[in-house]
Amino acid sequence: MAAIEVDGLRKEYGDVAALDGLDLTVEAGELYGLLGPNGSGKTTTIEILTGQRTPTAGEARVLGTDPVTEPIEVRRSIGILPEREDPPSFLTPREYLEFVGDVRSIPDIDDRIAEWADVLDFRGILDTMSSDLSEGERQRVMLAQVFIHEPDLAFIDEPLVNLDPLMQSEVKATLREYCADGNTLFLSTHFVEVAEQLCTEVGIIADGRLRTQRDPATMDDGLLSAYETEVAREVSPQ
Amino acid sequence: MLIEEYRLHAELFGRERFLAFPVLIALLAGGGLSLFALTGTAVGTLAAGLHGLVFFFGLQVGTIGLVGRDALRDVLGDVTLLVFSARTLPVSRRRLLGVFIWKDIVYYLCFFLTPVVVGFVPVALTGGLTVPSLALLWLTVAGTFALGTGTSLALAGIATQNRGVLVAVVAALVAAVVLEPAVMVQFTPYGVFVDPGVRTAATGLLALAVVLVAGPLSFDPTSGRALRRTDPSRFRRLRSATDVHTARSLLEVTRSSGSVWKVGFSLGVLFGVALLLLDRLAAATTLDPSGGIAFGTLLGLGTFTTYNWVTQADDPAEYLRYPDGLQAVFRGKLLAFYACAAPFGAAYLAAGVLRYPAADLLVGIAVFPLVALYVFGVTAYLTGFSANELLFDTALFAVYGAALALVSVPLLVAALAHGTAPVTSTAVAVGVAAVAAAVGAVLAVRAPRRWHDRLRR
Repeated sequence: MAAIEVDGLRKEYGDVAALDGLDLTVEAGELYGLLGPNGSGKTTTIEILTGQRTPTAGEARVLGTDPVTEPIEVRRSIGILPEREDPPSFLTPREYLEFVGDVRSIPDIDDRIAEWADVLDFRGILDTMSSDLSEGERQRVMLAQVFIHEPDLAFIDEPLVNLDPLMQSEVKATLREYCADGNTLFLSTHFVEVAEQLCTEVGIIADGRLRTQRDPATMDDGLLSAYETEVAREVSPQ
Repeated sequence: MLIEEYRLHAELFGRERFLAFPVLIALLAGGGLSLFALTGTAVGTLAAGLHGLVFFFGLQVGTIGLVGRDALRDVLGDVTLLVFSARTLPVSRRRLLGVFIWKDIVYYLCFFLTPVVVGFVPVALTGGLTVPSLALLWLTVAGTFALGTGTSLALAGIATQNRGVLVAVVAALVAAVVLEPAVMVQFTPYGVFVDPGVRTAATGLLALAVVLVAGPLSFDPTSGRALRRTDPSRFRRLRSATDVHTARSLLEVTRSSGSVWKVGFSLGVLFGVALLLLDRLAAATTLDPSGGIAFGTLLGLGTFTTYNWVTQADDPAEYLRYPDGLQAVFRGKLLAFYACAAPFGAAYLAAGVLRYPAADLLVGIAVFPLVALYVFGVTAYLTGFSANELLFDTALFAVYGAALALVSVPLLVAALAHGTAPVTSTAVAVGVAAVAAAVGAVLAVRAPRRWHDRLRR
């Protein structure tokens, strides 16, 4: 069964079309990467698929549910990492994750917090005010809130931003393990190497349309070459 | 900063709507002051009231120092201000804040204070004020606003240094105002307006100079920079006593600068100004106003700032990621709003017993929470979690102002008519407040759906 199905999705902000007839399918268990330049429609796609935004036209189904008409139902079964968002400034990571545990009705939240604090190495800052944390520490807390309720599908926007190289490796391994367990990951990034290293399938988006969708391992010339061709402009390696 | 501020508002609300704001303010001020003049209130009393209100407004604007502390300390946090766009430049944070305050004073002078004075011109000229007196009034109103802003900032600055000193300074100021109001007036710009001269100008500007220098100098944005750790069970205890959204809002209010005391400060300033205005009104006219209805109404309207405090740390877009919906969030905000405002409102109404009969103040106990619910509902429905955007969005401001006037005008008329018809005015006040509360409740219930749909557009 497809975890995500998108058909002719269009989103206009005034005169600007952020998405212009997007079609894509993501199979269950896939680590899908949506790769594209800034302003190509990646974040808008995630926002629509997670019920945070309504499309101007088109249809979408996420785990068999329509995120436009049943956003709450969709949010219940997915995890979301938004781009450029921090944990609440005046809560500690423990309090924030307890808050998420409450709104998501997670019964054994203390155990889950301990587990994810170990996985993402932030046990030492669990009771420090979030406003006093570094960017990387905040990103790790935000990653924990994505997975703490063990969703079948997660949408993550630029997950490796602000993480040091060692933590990036840890997070990459965690994401692979998550998909190996049969879960689906929808990752948005503009870093070609991240998509190439992590994803089992990559869709290249430009000007609000999906230009191509392939397994990066099958690309003879590499993902960067395909990206340059599809986006039709020079891109420097990140 | 001025250019940035102008472009920010022009971008947010549209240039025409933004530039229409001073015109609307002039019309509203002119209308309101004319109504007071029709009741026989002397021009001198209106001028005094104008200074009092502007001082109060300045105090409120000056509480930016509290937000500034959080934002400066929380360099990468989600509370951002225009001033921090310049934080990459080699300028001290203290100086930036000082410039920011001066920019605010100039800004409010152009978009708020000058229009208010312009609105006052017809009433003032009819009442016998001369053109030079009006020019002086413009200057002293501007000075009074700066005094209010500077006082708030100086108090916020002292709070960053030593809480004990803050309590002592506030207690001394309150005692001086209560015991020697006439002497204290001499140390304000209003004193210059009442008795223009070189000596009064010197004394009248002294306090202003002191607070405008002391504010930025005493302000220490780095205080408390050490990593703040907290009792891990605190949130859990709060959650067990209430719902998770209320618990979170309460923690955010208490942990932001000024803690829950900023709610008490805002309502306290309003209560103080209301007390002085009622005294002046009773002295200048034959009216015998009801303190209970007046305080209940004004404190209820003043909970607008409480709404602002309980929503300032949130981005509503965050809640679109969770499965429980905005309905639960707004319900939590309402409980936090009451938990913060109700004790202070009740305390100030109780303090009113020093000046008004207890039975009169009991009406205030009934009116205050009802008006507060109306304010919550209207603010939630019209502004979502961005109550500050009311300022300078002309259309929104007009609708909001009209909505509040719809309830506050009959309530204040009931307060003023209390001397001649106590039973009727009390019944009208409680009835109007109850209807307002019902409307507020409906709006509070509808607000989540409205903002959910808007945020998803």
